[in-house]
Order: sequence, then structure tokens, then C-alpha cells
Amino acid sequence: QTAWDMPTPYGDSVFHTQNIQQFAEDVGEATGGDLTITVHSAGSLFAHPEIKDSVRRGLAPVGEVLMSRLANEDAVFSVDSIPFLADNYDEARALWEASRPLVEEKLAEQGLTLLYAVPWPGQSLYTQEPVESTADLEGAAFRAYNTATERLAQLMGAVPTQIETGDIPTAFATGRVDAMITSPSTGVSSQAWDFTDYYTDTQAWLPKNMVIVNSTAFDGLPEEQRQAVLDAAAEAETRGWEMSEAETAEKIATLKENGMTVAEPSETLSGELSEIGHTMTQEWLEEAGDEGAALIEDYRAATE
Amino acid sequence: MELSLLAPILVVVLFGALAAGLWVGFSLIAVGLVAMALASPAPAGLVFATKVWGGLTVWDLTALPMFIWMGEILVRSRLSSDMFSGLAPFTGRLPGRLLHVNVFGCALFAAVSGSSAATTATIGRMSVPELTSRGYDPRMIIGTLAGSGTFGFLIPPSIILIVYGAATEQSIARLFLAGVVPGLMLAALFSGYIMLWSTVNRSRMPEAEPPVDRRAAIRGSARLLPVVGLIFAVIGSIYAGIASPTEAAVIGVTGALILAWATGAMSWAGFADALRAATITTCMITFILAGAAFLTVAMGYTGIPRQLAAWIGEMGLSPYALLAALTVFFIVMGMFLDGISIVVLTVSIILPMVVQAGIDPIWFGVFLVLVVEMSQITPPVGFNLFVLQTITGRDIFSIARYAAPFFGLLVLAVALLALFPQLALWLPGTMLSR
Amino acid sequence: MRSFLDRLYQGALALAAAAFAAIALLVLFQITGRLIDRAARATGAPPPGLTVPSLAEIGAFLFVGAVFLGLAGTLRAGGHVRVTLLTRALPPAAGRVLGFAVTLAAAGLAAFATWSSAVQVLDSWRFDSVSYGMIPVPLWLPQGVMTLGLALFCIALIDAAVALARGRVPDFQAAEAARGEHA
Ligand code: NA
Ligand code: NA
Repeated sequence: QTAWDMPTPYGDSVFHTQNIQQFAEDVGEATGGDLTITVHSAGSLFAHPEIKDSVRRGLAPVGEVLMSRLANEDAVFSVDSIPFLADNYDEARALWEASRPLVEEKLAEQGLTLLYAVPWPGQSLYTQEPVESTADLEGAAFRAYNTATERLAQLMGAVPTQIETGDIPTAFATGRVDAMITSPSTGVSSQAWDFTDYYTDTQAWLPKNMVIVNSTAFDGLPEEQRQAVLDAAAEAETRGWEMSEAETAEKIATLKENGMTVAEPSETLSGELSEIGHTMTQEWLEEAGDEGAALIEDYRAATE
Repeated sequence: MELSLLAPILVVVLFGALAAGLWVGFSLIAVGLVAMALASPAPAGLVFATKVWGGLTVWDLTALPMFIWMGEILVRSRLSSDMFSGLAPFTGRLPGRLLHVNVFGCALFAAVSGSSAATTATIGRMSVPELTSRGYDPRMIIGTLAGSGTFGFLIPPSIILIVYGAATEQSIARLFLAGVVPGLMLAALFSGYIMLWSTVNRSRMPEAEPPVDRRAAIRGSARLLPVVGLIFAVIGSIYAGIASPTEAAVIGVTGALILAWATGAMSWAGFADALRAATITTCMITFILAGAAFLTVAMGYTGIPRQLAAWIGEMGLSPYALLAALTVFFIVMGMFLDGISIVVLTVSIILPMVVQAGIDPIWFGVFLVLVVEMSQITPPVGFNLFVLQTITGRDIFSIARYAAPFFGLLVLAVALLALFPQLALWLPGTMLSR
Repeated sequence: MRSFLDRLYQGALALAAAAFAAIALLVLFQITGRLIDRAARATGAPPPGLTVPSLAEIGAFLFVGAVFLGLAGTLRAGGHVRVTLLTRALPPAAGRVLGFAVTLAAAGLAAFATWSSAVQVLDSWRFDSVSYGMIPVPLWLPQGVMTLGLALFCIALIDAAVALARGRVPDFQAAEAARGEHA
């Protein structure tokens, strides 16, 4: 009998966590209780920054982490965070198929095995004033939480501003920040209507959470348990993508119900944003080298 | 290992280590090690380093040394003693007189600081020497301070509410607003108790200070201005969007330094001495935090808090009985773990049963803060006790005894909150009505 | 040796204090940049956007480094909290034996902490682990400072245990007594 602890970063009401709970149940059932997974959600065992290293060191055999958190380790982990490269589910799926082998390879170098990845709904703009073009964001304080969002803010003419997650409501209320970009899920869970009024549905990129397992722990399982984990993971990936897509429409409706103005990006804004996307793709390619170029080529071939 | 065996073993180890005189941080580490050895196959050494590193590499913690440093500068510059002299004529007719400064001071400071330890350390550093030299009863000085220091968590900003909001997907803006009225109510309860106590125990109050004429009182109140102005500047910097709550602490340090230099009360030696003292206090608190972080993850591995919480859930209690059971649960857990750890470890089990019982999650956040505040002043593990031991030199069990009436008032506040849920829910409902 | 060790503890404590002061300076710079931006916006000029990149992360690294560097100096100043009820109640000889045992146990725990922290540094070094923010800081650097601080803490505890074994009063006990904890 094997008991695995599984740290995850997000709370129990987040669909990623619910999907993982189901995954854990499926594994328990398929192995007849020989392999049980205890999910420690909301960073209750290890917090988000600690999870990857805990899995790598075998402190917890399996865990969930936002893929682009590893961007500083290798550019390939940030391929799903290039704005407007893949800004809908079909493209996001194609990009994931094109990037998966390289992601798996990079993780394997760290002794990690990828089980599955599920995207967040697309990242969209939250502001206190309507945004018709990037000129409306000129000089605005724009929340940046990594290199990609910092660059995005600069290209839009905004001032990148670091705001910690817990500080967001205070920062908006006191004018330290004017705009942020995040998913409708996070918008609803943080009740963005308490501090912003406009939601501009850019769906700029669909960042993924990935579930990773310590390779030594995984390879140490009996063959049939390993298969049970892989089967449950494949199901979780399918289920998760469906949950994510369903969630997008649902959460946008919730934002609207709570009084936020939901708008499609204007033609001007769309044009400017795709220009920015082009620039940032080029910059990513410079950083990611040949393997990155091959990845993007595969992706382009699949979406043409 | 069975929990019914493991839990008592851990309690014995903790009490044994503390009683033998092992430092608090090391005692927590020792208990964590025993728990890991008995209940988890995970490698304790690697878990220790990962968790201590991760648990302390937190930006919000940087406010701690800054606020403590601010307090040390004010004490050395005599600005704080000026403030007490200025306040004395105004509190002269109020039963309890300057003891109320602990309550008001902590309530005001709590509007700047998100942590109880920082609130207790900063206000205590100033008020303990002042009140002692004026002949107030040390038990009351320490008790009011231990109790009022816990306002840091209830009056926004609050670290606990941020942690709870993030774990449960509740709006932090609403949680902050929900904490305001209960925070003021608690301050009123504490002040009321001081009035009552000082009326009953007239003999233990110092002689009334000689009455001062109005002109002298006004002249004296001018001496209040620097420090009061400084605290309002810090609060103002947050609300004007100039600084985040964490950054505002640096405004406090800078302001205190400028005041100290402007009044000619600060030398280079004084500056270095204040910084050194702040460093020592911060290292002390943070080393205990490191031990607490390791013990928390060890408890996560053993599953004790989860199973106890689930056990309460299985009892199928009515809402009031559930709240009573949870209060007892949190008080017992709060003796051994720090409050934030308990919230982190149990909220994912407890929140579903609370919601199922029809209890509002925002209200429950405020309830949690009150019970976590209790954990700050219950021995053997209570951060306000540790801070006050450093300031007063008295041991934590005596301090806990002086704080007991205020623990009782916290229990009373929980009861009031349960009877009148609108105390927490009215303000967020009014201000954010969508 | 004696004065060398004392200077080591003092030096590390001074470094810790300097790191806290550095955090204050960085935050002040950040706030000033924000005020300049605000003034620029008010006058219609483009805000220069002066910020300290990765302030939250770098500030947190400075904080952790400072705390661990300061542990030994804090011990020497009697700053770490403990319960002395029992040791005070015991007859002096028994109290000394218990004090020695407790200090030795603390040194053992500190050695464990040092070792586990060192393993973490090696791990971060081998895996080229970097921080998550806009400036990728190699993690072995701040984690290395944490290890050094813990090692120094361990040495300070052994130092105190040796003093107790030789029948001397270690600095931390003298400091505690001066504060009135050994009434
Ligand atoms: Na507060
Ligand atoms: Na306690």
C-alpha cells in the first residue's frame, strides 16, 4: 500500500483543484486502494513557490504547479504565456501538442515526469475605465508579476507595477494600480467587481497548470499502478480542458451579473495587441533558440 | 501510528522541551522532528530546509523589522515619552487613565500593521517603560498589551484575512471591511474592562497626576503632535496609494528618523543602537516562525489537524453547536500551533461544513481571526507572549495569566459575533452593495 | 579565539542590521519612483516608471539572509525566548547541568538545520535553480547565506555549551540575568 501526499497551490473551489480531487479518486479506485493520493490544496502542505522543488526532492511524490512559473529556468515553460500567440482553446491545444515533448524532456532532466496539463481560461483586461485602444493605458500602472507581463505592459505604453496577490484590492482601491490582466476565473474568485468595473475580453493567452510526479517515485510503482495513474491523468487532462472551456463563458457571465461591463476588444485594440503579440513572439524565439523555433514551426503548421 | 497515541506524545515532547528551558524555536523544531519520525516516511531534513526557506522568503514579513525599528527609534528619541506626557492630562478623568493608551495605541497601529507580533512589539516597546515608571500595575500593563496587540489581525490590513481569503476564494476587500466593526467593538470591550477594573481596584492604581491648568495641557498636547502625526502619515500613505501596507512600514521608519533628528534627540550611536535592537527582536520572532513553519508542515504530514476537524464535521452539529465545537477546537490547537498555521491546515476541511451549516464565509473569516487572536495569548505557543517576555523579562506563563481576562473578553466577542452576525456583515454589505 | 568568535557573532549581526537597512532604502527608492510617476501624470508628462525590479523577491531574500545571519548575535544578547521557570527553581548545580544539556540539544538541532540547509544549497546549485521574478536570482546565493547563518548559530551554541561545561556563565545567561529573568 502506497500513500502519496499531493500539494497543490489553489483553493478547493477552483476547477483545477476539483479536477485533481477527481484524479486522486480515480487513481484510488483503479488501484483498489493500493495507491492513495491525499490532496493538500491551497498551499496547505507546501506553498506554490515550494511545490516544484518538493516534488523534485521527493518530499511529496506528486504536485501541481503553474508551468510559466518555471520560465526563468527555461524559455520553453513560458511558451503558453506569449500574448496573442494562441488566444483560443483550439490554438492553445495545438500549441500544447507542439510543446509537450519539449516540456516533458526538460522536466525529465530534473527527474520529473509530466502527467498532464490543463489551461486556465484566457487572460483578459480588468480596468476601472473602458479601454478602446492601448492609448487608454498610456502611463497607467499595470500589474506585472513576471517578465512577460512586464514586457506586455511596456509595449502597451503602461507602467509595469509589482503588486502581490493579496494586495490587489487595496492597490486598486488606493490607485497604486489601474489595470491587471488575469483569467475570468481569478476575476470571479477575487471578486474583481469590488475594485474594477470593466472587463475587456482579450483572452490574450491560456497559461497552464501542470501535474508533475517525481520520476523515481513513479518508476518505483508496480506496472499496473503506473498504468492506472497514466490512465487517470489522461482522463483528467480531457476533463480539465472541458472544465476550463465551460468555465470561461460561465465566469464571464458571473462578472456581468455582478455589474462589470463586459466588452469585446475594439478593432483598434485587437490590431495593436496582435502587433504586440508578434513582437513578443519574436523576442521569445530569440531566447528559446533552435528548439523554440522548431516548436513554433510545428505549431504554425498545425494551425494553418 | 494512531493519532490517539501520537498527539499526546507530541504534547509531552513540547511541554518537556519548553519546561527544560530549550528555546521556543528549537522546541518547535524538536516536536516537528518527532512527528515526522513517527508518522511520515518523508525525509525530515529536506522538508525542514524547503519549508523554512519557503515559509520565511515572504515579502510581507519585511514589514516586521521596519515597524519594530520605528518603535526603537521613537523610544530612544524621547518622542514616545513626550507622547505619554501629552496624553496624561486628557486621560486624567477616565477611570484607568493611561492604561487606555495600550488599547487605543494598538487599535491605531493595527490600522497600519497586518501582524499581531509587530503591533505588540512596537506599542509595547514604548508603553511598558512609560507606564511602569508612572507606577501602573505591571499585571495590567502587560495584560492590556497582550490583549490589544491582537488587534493587528482584526483591524485591516490583516495577514490572517489575506491567508483565509486566498485559501477560500473570498474577497479580501470584503473580509477587511468585515473586520472593522468587530475590531472597534473589541477595543471598546477592552477599554470597558480597564474602567471596571480600575474602579474596583483603586488601590492598585498610581496616584493621580497633579491637575494641570488648561494652558499647560495645551502646551503638553503640542508634544503629542509628532508621534500622532507620524502614525497618521503612515496610515495616510496607504490610503493615498503612495505605499502598500508592507512599504508603509518604511515610511514609519523614515518619519521617525526625521523627527528624531529634527528634534535633536538622535545621535549616530542612538541610530545604530535602535537598528541593532530591532534586528535582535526580528531574529527572535522569525526564528520561532521558522520552527512554527516546520511544525506546521510536519502536522500536515501527520494529518492530526485534518482528522480532528473531520471528526467535528462527522458529529452533525447544529450551527451554534458547531461554532462552539470549532471554538474549543481552535483554542486547543491554538495552544500549540500559531494561528495562521491552524487556518492553513484546517480551512479546507472546515469551510465546507461551515457553508453547509448555512454560515456566511465572510462572517466565518472574522470568527477565525478572533479565535486566532486567542491563540496569540495562550501558552505555551503564543507570539504575543514571546514578544512580551522579551520586553518585560517576565516568563510567558505569568504573562498568559495577566492576559487571561482579555482572553475571556475575546471569547465574549465571539459569542457577541455569533448572536449578532451583522457586526461583521453590515459594513461590507453597505460599502460594496453590488 | 574568544575575541575572534565574539567579533564573528557581532560582525554577522551588523551585516544583518545592514541588510534590514538596505530593504528600507530599496523601498524608499520605490516609493519615490511612484511619487515621481504620479507628479509626471499630474503634469501630463510621460511617467518615467522608476521601480526597483523584483523588489518583493529581493527584499524577501535580504530579509531571510539577515534573520539567519543575526541568529548567533541574538543568542549572545540573550534575545531568543525560552522558559526559565524550571531552571530557576532547581538547585544551582542541577540547574547548570540542565542548562548544559539544553544548550547541547539546541546545538544538535542547529547542526541538523545547518546540514539540511546545506543540502538544499547543493541541490539549488546542481539544478541551477533561479527565482521566479523579473530578475532570475540563483537560489544558492540567499540559501547559502541562510546556511552560513545557521552554521554560525550552531558554533555559538557549542561555544555556550563549552562555557557551561567549564563552569562559566555564557553570554546569553548573563544577558538574561541582566534583564531580570533569573530573579
Ligand atoms: Na491590522
Ligand atoms: Na497559543
